[in-house]
Amino acid sequence: MTDGALIVQSDKTLLLEVDHPKSADARRAIAPFAELERAPEHIHTYRITPLGLWNARAAGHDAEQVVDALVTHSRYPVPHALLVDVAETMARYGRLTLLKDDEGRLVLRTTDRAVLTEVLRHKRIKPLVGETIDDDTVLVHPSERGHLKQELLKVGWPAEDEAGYVDGEAHPIALDQTEGWSLRPYQEQAVDGFWDGGSGVVVLPCGAGKTLVGAGAMAKASATTLILVTNTVSARQWKDELLRRTSLTEDEIGEYSGARKEIRPVTIATYQVLTTRRKGVYTHLDLLDARDWGLIVYDEVHLLPAPIFRMTADLQARRRLGLTATLVREDGLESDVFSLIGPKRFDAPWKDIEAQGYIAPADCVEVRVTLPDGQRMAYAVADAEDRYRLASCSDAKLPVVEKLVERHRGEPTLVIGQYLDQLDELAGRLDADLITGETTVAERQRLFAAFRTGEISLLVVSKVANFSVDLPEASVAIQVSGTFGSRQEEAQRLGRVLRPKGDGRTAHFYTVVARDTVDAEFAAHRQRFLAEQGYAYRIIDSDDL
Amino acid sequence: MVPEPSPPNRSLADDIRARSDEELTSLVAARPDLARPAPSDLTALASRSATRASTARAIDALDAAHLQALEAAAVATDPVTPATLARLLGASDESAAAGLLDDLWRVGLVWRSPHGLVVTRTVIDVLGDNPAGLGLPAEDLPGPPAADEATLQSEIAAAPPRARAILDRLTWGPAVGIVGPDDAPGRRGPAEDGARWLLAHGLVRAVAADQVALPREVAMVLRGGRVHADSQLMPPAPAGVAVDPDRVDAAAGAAASEVLALLDELLDAWSQDPPRVLRTGGLSVRDLKAASTRLDTEPEHTAYLVELALIADLVADDGEVEPHWVPTAEYDQWQTEPGGERWARLALAWLSSTRAPHRVGGRTDASTVINALGPDAQWPPIRSLRRAVLDLLDRHWATAPEPAAVAESVRWARPRRVPRTLDSVVGAVLREAAWLGVTGHRALSSAGRAVLLAEGDPRAAAESIHPHLPAPVDAVLLQADLTAIAPGPVTGSLAAFLRLVADVESRGGATVHRFSDESIRRCLDQGWTGDDILAGLRDASSTPVPQPLEYLVRDVARRHGTIRVRGVSAVIRSEDERGLEVMLAHRRLAPLQLRRIAPTVLTSPVSPEVVLEMLREEGFAPVPESASGVVAVPIRPARRAVRSRSVDPALVQAMDRAQLGSLIQTLRAGEDEARNRASAIAGGRGPAIPANDPTTSIAVLREAIADGRAVWLGYSDSIGQTQRLLFHPERIDGGRVSGVAEDVARTLSIHRITGVVPD
Repeated sequence: MTDGALIVQSDKTLLLEVDHPKSADARRAIAPFAELERAPEHIHTYRITPLGLWNARAAGHDAEQVVDALVTHSRYPVPHALLVDVAETMARYGRLTLLKDDEGRLVLRTTDRAVLTEVLRHKRIKPLVGETIDDDTVLVHPSERGHLKQELLKVGWPAEDEAGYVDGEAHPIALDQTEGWSLRPYQEQAVDGFWDGGSGVVVLPCGAGKTLVGAGAMAKASATTLILVTNTVSARQWKDELLRRTSLTEDEIGEYSGARKEIRPVTIATYQVLTTRRKGVYTHLDLLDARDWGLIVYDEVHLLPAPIFRMTADLQARRRLGLTATLVREDGLESDVFSLIGPKRFDAPWKDIEAQGYIAPADCVEVRVTLPDGQRMAYAVADAEDRYRLASCSDAKLPVVEKLVERHRGEPTLVIGQYLDQLDELAGRLDADLITGETTVAERQRLFAAFRTGEISLLVVSKVANFSVDLPEASVAIQVSGTFGSRQEEAQRLGRVLRPKGDGRTAHFYTVVARDTVDAEFAAHRQRFLAEQGYAYRIIDSDDL
Repeated sequence: MVPEPSPPNRSLADDIRARSDEELTSLVAARPDLARPAPSDLTALASRSATRASTARAIDALDAAHLQALEAAAVATDPVTPATLARLLGASDESAAAGLLDDLWRVGLVWRSPHGLVVTRTVIDVLGDNPAGLGLPAEDLPGPPAADEATLQSEIAAAPPRARAILDRLTWGPAVGIVGPDDAPGRRGPAEDGARWLLAHGLVRAVAADQVALPREVAMVLRGGRVHADSQLMPPAPAGVAVDPDRVDAAAGAAASEVLALLDELLDAWSQDPPRVLRTGGLSVRDLKAASTRLDTEPEHTAYLVELALIADLVADDGEVEPHWVPTAEYDQWQTEPGGERWARLALAWLSSTRAPHRVGGRTDASTVINALGPDAQWPPIRSLRRAVLDLLDRHWATAPEPAAVAESVRWARPRRVPRTLDSVVGAVLREAAWLGVTGHRALSSAGRAVLLAEGDPRAAAESIHPHLPAPVDAVLLQADLTAIAPGPVTGSLAAFLRLVADVESRGGATVHRFSDESIRRCLDQGWTGDDILAGLRDASSTPVPQPLEYLVRDVARRHGTIRVRGVSAVIRSEDERGLEVMLAHRRLAPLQLRRIAPTVLTSPVSPEVVLEMLREEGFAPVPESASGVVAVPIRPARRAVRSRSVDPALVQAMDRAQLGSLIQTLRAGEDEARNRASAIAGGRGPAIPANDPTTSIAVLREAIADGRAVWLGYSDSIGQTQRLLFHPERIDGGRVSGVAEDVARTLSIHRITGVVPD
């Protein structure tokens, strides 16, 4: 037995004791192959998954390193079966390689004939490959590159994609690093990690500057770029950020959305417009081939809709950069992210970045209100599907929200909710502006700008604010209702307040929930996520406010 | 003791009688069945050793080398010497052959004659007609005796191709083959090739119309004088990688620690909620699956754990009317012991058990599913196989052989006693050994070795595992995400507390416990209070209790028990609070055990009828109320008996004249017939007995009993003949009538009585 900082569990989780003198070493050793699952105050939990191990293989680590990291840092003997499993799983990556042969054809080559024979026998893989060139090599039609990778991963033999990328149409892009501004060290690492890997995903917390990582990657590529974002507001923000931080000019950046259809050297398109269908046909599919794109950037990869995955399968010859705060997808399509966008190229735990001062420290508080007797009755007899709405829209929350707003008067404050009537009422009571999906883009931008300048300090927003809205100075967020227990949403909302504050103030994140209802249950689910991310949170009763 | 020169042996009995004490000791040690029960003298010992059962046992215990030697010796026609044996075995080393023969002599399978060693007749019998795949000798087959070796050599050399092919097929057995119709021995015509050529030259013998057999002598020539195709005189060396014993012990310690934790968890769960014992005696598949889910282990591993609990006497059938599997009193004792002792108990029990956990989930020969803890998991061969596997690992210390190589070695060590499923059995034994910590990294651990040598004494085994078990921790880390992490094994009251107050989420070197509403409620249901829980958590934790956890405990405790449930039988309601107070104070009403639950409500565990009556007796004027709170005015109808259901008397309908006429005729005819028959049967003794229905018979009998008179009755006896009896009935009950007939007390079944007439 050693005095290592790591404890290896039989369910393939790794427990890292944070206060252990060797914890930093251990963390560095396991970070390449294990996904951080929870990071509460004393012991962080990592998980070893096949995808994680293959990510590590893709990053050039081998099984020996992984086993060595486990054995060296583990306090107790590591179960033999687990080591064997790690070695076997890692050995599955790279048996198959996609590459260009001497004649420039795309082929699937193996170092292990049995594996090739096995995968070619699969019904779903057989039609994706062409004629057999020799015992170790089969021809692959370039259009099936993505599908083949997807299917191979499904059968547990992920292929290494070394077939390279087209350079795309060159277009000079440079970072404008004057005015005392430059990429932060971790952003540079992320850009390099991505560029060396070819394609892949960069995982950074909200507020850690993912847009800049995108800009950095574009500067590296210096080629025409297609940026896919979640919505129009986000598109405008990308545009603003690119104009501010790069050599790109207004004329070089196009917006391809419901409102405008511009195709320029750098084009920003929304997921929605791409997935619009008329008579069962994707009407804007041509965009993907409109130019010879050298780089495709996917913002918020964890939200990428399934049709985009299907389209992405056909774009395997182009460099792809995925940006996200979390690889956890609530639909379980992590493996598609791996096979179609690429392996994880960079990851940094929130707490580390926070410790470096790039994210504001946050004070998370759950405020519990007691439903008035009448509503308790209504709740008790309500149908299951109405209960959440009833509980989360309780009037009892209104005075609590007022009190919280009052407490932080003057500080930039967001009130976030799910249900429009509730938000309407709140906006009325608080005398604040309301932004919902129906607010026009111009109005939205006007309000955001006013908020940013400090002209107004309070906004009530619906879930449109969840994604990619950049509100640099929001330091208080009050959540009154959410989408059931979504962890992903929690991450987004916390991200709203975790931007670095000019004066280093602590950010506040309040969740107002109705006691003894499903609202509290869902809240517990989301709170757990916060605690797992290492944010201490408190629960208080509204009476104690 | 120097053996005195003795007359040459003429039999096994002589040989055994002539053995020294030491030799006899080793004989009995090798064949313990000879000594149970103790034979009266050496002759008895010798004759017992020559029995078929004992000989078969002794042969079954031989390894492949000795078995081959014995087969070779059995094939030899004359007493064998080491030289002949070496030749038959195709071994160059005569001393090795001598050693093998000596071992066989020691266990009494061959005896020493003046000319060499002789295989006992029972051995030949047990080995059967085809030792080493050889056929019968020529003299036992139809046809002339075998030619000498040189002749056979030249005949074989002259065999045409098809004949040669047949010989090649038969050479290494089986020695009998079926030939095609063209080659059939009975067919006439010239025999130029094939089986008939061989028959003609005496190389094979016809044993049936289409079968030929290769005589043993011919086969020996074909085999080049060797009995076995491949010699197995040397044990196979199991291939395996060398492993560091320290790492092996560390891994074994980890496994041992895990198995203890898993059993604690399993049996703790079963204490709370024991699974049912199936009617066939096992654990249902569903309960096994539930255990699997709870422990988060593979089904095979779970089956092993529950079986381990059974063989270590930690769990048993509680023997109730509806039986359940519950932890035993030994379990309580076991739990308090140090880790090493706890493990040693498991390991020793496992080593000597005849239960085979790996069979669980499979099917018996009768194709019923084998349930864990059931009788079908009993499989006696597993004990010696398990021992054989571990002994092998012991011999190859610090190596981790492949399971296939282990199976190969086991097969060599006991060729006649391997099951068909040897490979899977060996695999299962190795897995079980690894789960238990008897092995680590697939090699035997020092604790495992101690268990092998322990011979039932747990102390050495306990000491050997102890340093490799992680030291128990006495504190956990509480975290804001509502988990408690014990960074090592927890024992005793701390473990019990954690199991009660939280659910295990992940297990291994450490244990992750998760707190939830349900887990806290479970603890409160056991009588803890919120403050107790928090105090317990504070004691258990080396860090402060995080606010969210404290809030959770308080929140659940706040709601817990705000609703109370009690059983009452009667409720007394009155707007007259004074009146209720009077009732409460009333001494004569004390038996009603009245309790006040609200100013206007009293309850009583006594039934409403009694309450009403007692209140009335004491001068109150209560009115009964229905369950829905409506006054139930008692409607008192005048009392009327309900007519008991009885058989309606048959309605008598008037009959017309024609009907009556035919009825009378029928009756007359019946009467005559009966009279004729009666006189024919009884020769006139007593009256004619009509055929009555039982109701009539009973009525007549009852009358006779009441009058104390005898009756004549017809009684159909066991062979179906009707007897006539003069019967004095005394009693009728249960469909029988008791009484006296011809001075003998008899009890007759009514349904056999054909008819009764009073005397």
